[in-house]
Amino acid sequence: MSDWNREKRREAHSSEHESRSHGSSRWSHCRKRGVDGSLRTKRDPEGSDKAHNKERHDNRNDSFRTPESAGPVSRCGRRSDWGSQVEDDEMRRDVHRDMQRRRILGGDATQRERRASSGSSGSCDSREGDSMETDEGVLLRRQKQINYGKNTLAYDRYVKEVPKHLRQAGVHPKTPNKFRKYSRRSWDQQIKLWKVKLHAWDPPTEEGGDKSLHNINELGLDDVMDIELDFPSLSDSQDAPAPLSTHSLSLEDEDCMGTPVKVQRTDSTAEPGI
Amino acid sequence: MENSSDDYRIQAFDLDTQMLLKTALKDPGSVNLEKVSNIIMDQSFKDQVFSKEAGRICYTIVQAEAKQNGSVFRRNLLNRLQLEFKEREETRGRSLQEWVCFVTFICNIFDYLKVNNMPMVALVHPVFDCLMRLAQPDALMNEEEVDCLVLQLHRIGEQLEKMNAPRMDELFFLLRDGFLLQEGLTSMARLLLLEILEFRAGGWLLSSTAHKYYYSEIAD
Repeated sequence: MSDWNREKRREAHSSEHESRSHGSSRWSHCRKRGVDGSLRTKRDPEGSDKAHNKERHDNRNDSFRTPESAGPVSRCGRRSDWGSQVEDDEMRRDVHRDMQRRRILGGDATQRERRASSGSSGSCDSREGDSMETDEGVLLRRQKQINYGKNTLAYDRYVKEVPKHLRQAGVHPKTPNKFRKYSRRSWDQQIKLWKVKLHAWDPPTEEGGDKSLHNINELGLDDVMDIELDFPSLSDSQDAPAPLSTHSLSLEDEDCMGTPVKVQRTDSTAEPGI
Repeated sequence: MENSSDDYRIQAFDLDTQMLLKTALKDPGSVNLEKVSNIIMDQSFKDQVFSKEAGRICYTIVQAEAKQNGSVFRRNLLNRLQLEFKEREETRGRSLQEWVCFVTFICNIFDYLKVNNMPMVALVHPVFDCLMRLAQPDALMNEEEVDCLVLQLHRIGEQLEKMNAPRMDELFFLLRDGFLLQEGLTSMARLLLLEILEFRAGGWLLSSTAHKYYYSEIAD
């Protein structure tokens, strides 16, 4: 099975790279020649469906690679591996379902009820009169960031320990409401602060850093580069980057990566160069 | 609904592996899920009986893992499936049996692994690609492949059509042509093709008279 495993890791690499805009597939169809100078053959259209063409990546010109990837690399943000496609699809559906709920629940009556109760989680928090955030791209991005925070041991422990009706504003972390209108900076900052607060519920270990890595493994983060991931120490709320492997690791077999080729330090300016 | 492990047909595996699979079904987070997905897939490509229902065990593991907030198994499964799909032509060249098992498996996954009760969009075109391949003239000459093709259409044809009707039309153009024009088809192959043509024409249902024709014992 070693061949298969090698292939798979290369796939994982290349799908990670997709999010780093090293692919040029968006423009490649306009180019007459590939990177190596050879004339590109006209791709025969198998269907007008865009999703369909996206899956024809396996036919893409071999010249569209990065040094680390074994295969052609696609435009950042559009992951062509099936695992990611299905996850993205699932998230899109969840977000749409949430939107529908908000529209129905976010009406007048519910607002009055909500004000009367204390410590609600703000699920109907789009203020009356404010329009909801409805841009799908924005909602998906925000949902992804929320998911990263929620897929942590810290969050699990927090939720078990503190039931919603006992949450105190300011003390207990509250998931930012993706349906409210915020600027990008404001939103990103809220997420950051939320995650910092969640760390108070990290499971006890010798080094806090190890647990972060464990969480990363559980998440299978292969497109982590498109959001900032800071894990500052609790005493210091500034952006103090911690070393983080941004590989999409084979999740149970950490040791087989050896020394990660690209152990990156995340910092607030994001993209590490290759 | 608690399925006994018999429902998953894991008897084909050795006892250690059976243990591993049973654990994966109950507590996925405690096992190496990449390994589990590979084991299941390897077996599916060898064993057509297993591949016909392997989707079920996969679905259960995916659900169990989702409760633990994980998605390792599904991701591994799909990505390996994608690799195998890319190499399907080589597989077919090497072994018809493996190729047929692969198609059976991917269709079974399409059938069972739903996302929010909808089939996985990512698999629609690949599944069609496989079925179209089975409908090619060279494949129609092999009863094994025709048999596989009609079996899959019986099981997932209706769902597939809902996801992409034009491609289903395209496929059935090929099937009509195959039935009508292909020389050298065995009579069994022609029978299978005729039945599936009628099946779809009836809205993915065989009329009772047609059913009698195709499936009743011939009276002496």
